[in-house]
Amino acid sequence: MKEATENTSLEGAGWSQAACKDLPTKAQDTIFCSEEDNSLYFTYSGKSNVLEVKELNYQVNVASQIPWYENLMQMKMPWTWKSDPHSYVSIIQNLNLKVQSGQMLAIIGSTAGGKTSLLDVITCRDQGGKIKSGQIMINNKPSTPQLVKKCIAHVRQDDRLLPQLTVRETLLFVAKLRLPKYFSDSQRKKRVEDVIAELRLCQCANTRVGNEYLRGISGGERRRVSMGVQLLWNPGILILDEPTSGLDSFTAHNLVITLSRLARGNRLVLLSLHQPRSDIFQLFDLVLLMTSGVTVYSGTARDMVQYFTELGYPCPRFSNPADFYVDLTSIDKQTAEKEMESRKRANTLANLFLEKVKDFDDFLWKATEKDDVSTTFSKQRSLVNSEEAINMPYSSSDQLPGVFKQFSILLSRQVSNDFRDLSMLLIHGFEALFMSLLIGFLYYGHEKTRLSIRDTTALLYMIGALIPFTVILDVIAKCHSERAMLYNDLEDGMYSVSPYFFAKVLGELPEHCAFVIIYGFPIYWLANLVPKPEHFLLNFLSVWLAVYSARTMALWVAALLPTLQLSAFFGNVLFTSFYLSGGFVISLENLWTVPFWLSKISFLRWNFQSMVQIQFNDITYDMTIGNTTFQIPGKLVIQSLHLDSHPLYTSYLVLVAIVCSFLLLYYLSLRFIKQKSHEDW
Amino acid sequence: MSGGSSPALERSSSCRHMSETKAVTQPGDSISVQGISYTVREHVGPWWNLSLYYKKWTRQILKDVSFHIESGQIMGILGNSGSGKTTLLDAISGRLGQKDNFFGEVYVNGHQLKKEQFRDCVSYVPQSDTLLSFLTIQESLTYTALLTLQKCSNDLIKKKVDAVMAELSLSHIADKIIGSRIFAGISGGEKRRVSIAAQLLQDPKVMLLDEPTTGLDSLTANQIVSLLSELAHRGRIVIITIHQPRSELFRLFDKIAIMSFGEMVFCGNPMEMITFFSDCGYSCPEQSNPFDFYVDLTSVDTRSKERELETYSRVQVIGSAYKNSEIFSEVLATIETTKCMKELPPIPFKNKDSPSTFYKLWILLRRITKNLSRDKMGITMRLFQNLLFGLFVAFFLLRLRNDLLKGAVQDRVGLVYQCVSAPPYTGMLNAVALFPPLRAISDQESKDGLYKKWQMLLAYIVHFLPFSVISVAIFSTFIYWTVGLYPDASRFGIFFAVILASHIIGELLTLVVLGVVQNPQIVQSGVVLLNSAGVIVGTGLVRTIEEMSPPFKILSYISSQRYSSEVLIVNEFHGLSFTCGGANSSMSINPMCIFSHGTEFIEKHFPGALSRFHINFLILYAFVPGLAIIAILSFKIREIIISR
Repeated sequence: MKEATENTSLEGAGWSQAACKDLPTKAQDTIFCSEEDNSLYFTYSGKSNVLEVKELNYQVNVASQIPWYENLMQMKMPWTWKSDPHSYVSIIQNLNLKVQSGQMLAIIGSTAGGKTSLLDVITCRDQGGKIKSGQIMINNKPSTPQLVKKCIAHVRQDDRLLPQLTVRETLLFVAKLRLPKYFSDSQRKKRVEDVIAELRLCQCANTRVGNEYLRGISGGERRRVSMGVQLLWNPGILILDEPTSGLDSFTAHNLVITLSRLARGNRLVLLSLHQPRSDIFQLFDLVLLMTSGVTVYSGTARDMVQYFTELGYPCPRFSNPADFYVDLTSIDKQTAEKEMESRKRANTLANLFLEKVKDFDDFLWKATEKDDVSTTFSKQRSLVNSEEAINMPYSSSDQLPGVFKQFSILLSRQVSNDFRDLSMLLIHGFEALFMSLLIGFLYYGHEKTRLSIRDTTALLYMIGALIPFTVILDVIAKCHSERAMLYNDLEDGMYSVSPYFFAKVLGELPEHCAFVIIYGFPIYWLANLVPKPEHFLLNFLSVWLAVYSARTMALWVAALLPTLQLSAFFGNVLFTSFYLSGGFVISLENLWTVPFWLSKISFLRWNFQSMVQIQFNDITYDMTIGNTTFQIPGKLVIQSLHLDSHPLYTSYLVLVAIVCSFLLLYYLSLRFIKQKSHEDW
Repeated sequence: MSGGSSPALERSSSCRHMSETKAVTQPGDSISVQGISYTVREHVGPWWNLSLYYKKWTRQILKDVSFHIESGQIMGILGNSGSGKTTLLDAISGRLGQKDNFFGEVYVNGHQLKKEQFRDCVSYVPQSDTLLSFLTIQESLTYTALLTLQKCSNDLIKKKVDAVMAELSLSHIADKIIGSRIFAGISGGEKRRVSIAAQLLQDPKVMLLDEPTTGLDSLTANQIVSLLSELAHRGRIVIITIHQPRSELFRLFDKIAIMSFGEMVFCGNPMEMITFFSDCGYSCPEQSNPFDFYVDLTSVDTRSKERELETYSRVQVIGSAYKNSEIFSEVLATIETTKCMKELPPIPFKNKDSPSTFYKLWILLRRITKNLSRDKMGITMRLFQNLLFGLFVAFFLLRLRNDLLKGAVQDRVGLVYQCVSAPPYTGMLNAVALFPPLRAISDQESKDGLYKKWQMLLAYIVHFLPFSVISVAIFSTFIYWTVGLYPDASRFGIFFAVILASHIIGELLTLVVLGVVQNPQIVQSGVVLLNSAGVIVGTGLVRTIEEMSPPFKILSYISSQRYSSEVLIVNEFHGLSFTCGGANSSMSINPMCIFSHGTEFIEKHFPGALSRFHINFLILYAFVPGLAIIAILSFKIREIIISR
């Protein structure tokens, strides 16, 4: 049994490299003999890091945690939101810890124990909370967002990856963005291959990443790719929030083996877990047990049972110590009495623990005082490293690739992601073709039987007004699905806003052009419009610009508002106002001041105006009422629609101006509004 | 393995002895499963890969599974994902489709059950809780009780609900609202207990639960399982599947079964399990969870060929060791004796005397209305969404004029266009937002046989009608008099009636689609497309109907917008007179002033609409019952699709 051998080897010589090397020979006996090779491909060889948290007390204002739109959803008015200033809740109390390179610390505890908050505080991502006292030190310097960005990699609970890229491509794009300038292309490739080997992703390196809708690599592999993304820039400190949640036992076990191997490669690994299985628990070296913000135990994993046994809580036979002690210390909220009782027990245990460790400088409980576990551990490891490590040049203060480089990388990343999404492209193409054919055949006619004036104006308006609506909804949905990744990348400092903005805008163009061509061509030649090439081209240009305005508007709305629903609603409102003030549904002359000015920026109106001018300018209609026949010049039609205010070219200029202003708004929203995603809501 | 020497085996044989003696005097209930196998035929490749798609392969999901369980026992089925746990549960509850691929028998007290009898005998709690989020626990349970137990008086039902709540320790939170993802209510563990309580109302003797602990934190998971074992010890049979159980639960189970690749690798009590695996040469280390250890031991590692072969052969060895063990042969013997018993004990049916269809509809209606009455957001949306749209239009339009040069016709046509296309759209939004949770519940409860899916649909239709009337009344009163449509009370009445019909038709059409399409997002875009196609083809406002090509002309007859727009046009234009420019300008000068009366406009663009006025109105209202019937049919189809 592997557990058995490990147990004994841990009892004896500590966790030595020798024990691990024994594993392959015992392969046929073990349950988890997943890794045939235990070699370290990719180690961290910078100076060793120390992460220290001293006397940390952290509070969170619960009321301010609820986003404004959720308050609105529950019909709470803005002035009632901040009514309760006393709603600060203490999340972390008096926490101490000290971890060094080569160690893996697991923070365990039941849900709502403050684990995620602790990781957030360490990575300077705390929201709405404040540190009452205490401090966080990284290599003896107080932690700042800049310092965190430079030396901590944070792997979040959810995987945010582009679904259409393969594992190797994903990592390669990150390598291009994240590694300093002086790396050559072959060096970058080498680094990617090293990371793939280190995380044992060789088998799926050329498989698409996928997501919940698209079949790709498995969940465990996806988690490892997320880790790989962070590992690429070779950080000294790796922080993982619930890395095993949602994985089955096999995968979880292998993931933790990977992590402990990474720690052996001289990294500092910090992870939170809420209920490790017994076999995973045995892989940890250091454990911090938290419950409702207080520390109940912090020390080596194998001493935990001994510690609690000394306190009078022995772990029963055939039960998982992690489960047992997490339950022992968690707060039972079923009834008030039980809650009181369990809270009391947790606090007593916490105080006892504080008593016991107050003499140690690293706040770890040790079975025997002489045996200074952590130092022997790290010594062993540095020994290992000098033998096995393939040295990587350590680089912390080097420059990342320039803005133009970032732009071209992002552009190629986006284009390759979008163009592989064949089903989405087909759906959009089909949508455009369907609309185009429907309207085209509905207004189908010949030269002789011309469309009536009323039908022609209606047709022209429909051409401009039908398709932007679907475009807006599609673009908003797509942007929101990418938002979380964008947020993480920006927070990690992988690239800045401007290159992303330009890459996004340019990357959308090919799809947009194809879409408008599929839509614009059939409709014009099927419906009975003036069959001259120059008329067609002018008409096409106008439609192109109008649909593009809709697209840029959608980009802006998606970046402006935090949830998909809100964005879709606001986009809908904007579109409907432009629609109503477009000059077809309501006569332009009858609009009062506000909608009149709205019609000035309505892209539907300018598109309509240009198309009407193109169609009617040099046509005369005959109209018979009773016995008299009127000659109606086309100009009169334009006049009666009040669309003759400006010459033709102004429409194009105004459309271009509208596009530019939406793009500017989009840029500003990207720049100043946090692109945090609330998809789960 | 020598049976006599093991204390665990002695215990089990004495148990057997006891149960045999009990069977003579006071028969306990039992379930015996004998040699069930289940296979499905699947396409090898995805649909776009045609050559692979047409090839099919047979996948064995259950392979010769047998076990026996008696009342007072709780059995846990363990196994990794894909090992056939849930399918086994489905087989016991008689929920498996395709009978031809299913072999073997399930006996309850020695009887083989018919399909309907399964439903009336076995309670099934699925993995996800489907509960109405705005009801309190007590209300939720009371409505379920009312749907199942008609004969009981209200007092009796109240007593029953109180008793069940006490049994599951829900009494102290009886008046708490259940809650949903958006607003907080009771916790996940409490929701799970409410789901279990809903099943207990019928006093089932057999309860099956699929993954009752998934998604709960460990403490709550523990509480749920110990609760279930208490329920079992009060004379019920409880079978649960469980994924990664905690070591503390080890002692709570009377029987533990381990599934791997469709095979039952082991089934027996906990002590038997430890001795069995020790005898196979795999003893569980002291400080580790035996569940985890044994499940890992019996799972197949598919990451590399060698590992797969190695682990698979280990599973085979353990599996055949079990098949040859005494535990297994005793199980088989017990099954035989139960079958051959002289007097078979009766099948333990659940308490059930279903009320009549009308009474069920009445209860469902009360339940839905109660749920909506607490949903502030839902009510606001239902009542004021139309008005919001009206405000929007009024904001742009302000007031209609009679001067042709100032767009008298254009604005009126535009307004009619909006009034024809928007109310179905808001109706669609209502249905897409509010109906899917109810649909999920009806899917669930119709499987339990509480009512049929279309009954829920009908109750829903009845419950939204008054809201639609109020909402449309608010909207049309506002828009009609604000923008100044034809000032006449009876015309206003017709306007209101047409808008109401379109609003209801929009919602009904969405319900039709929701019956056969699962994803609300797709339904939404589909109905939007249908609606705009109907407006373009049917109304004649954007395309003169006479000039359309024949297929479109025929299509226009089935779009409800054709009728609503014609009625509205006639309603507004008939008897209206226009002016043209100033008073002194003559009509013949300006060709825009071709009409002086609204009736001329009607004759020009909608010839014959005046005479069709009443017919159009009737046809429009015929759409309402027509679509309601189609919606009911669509939910009958849904019933067929889901039962497969």
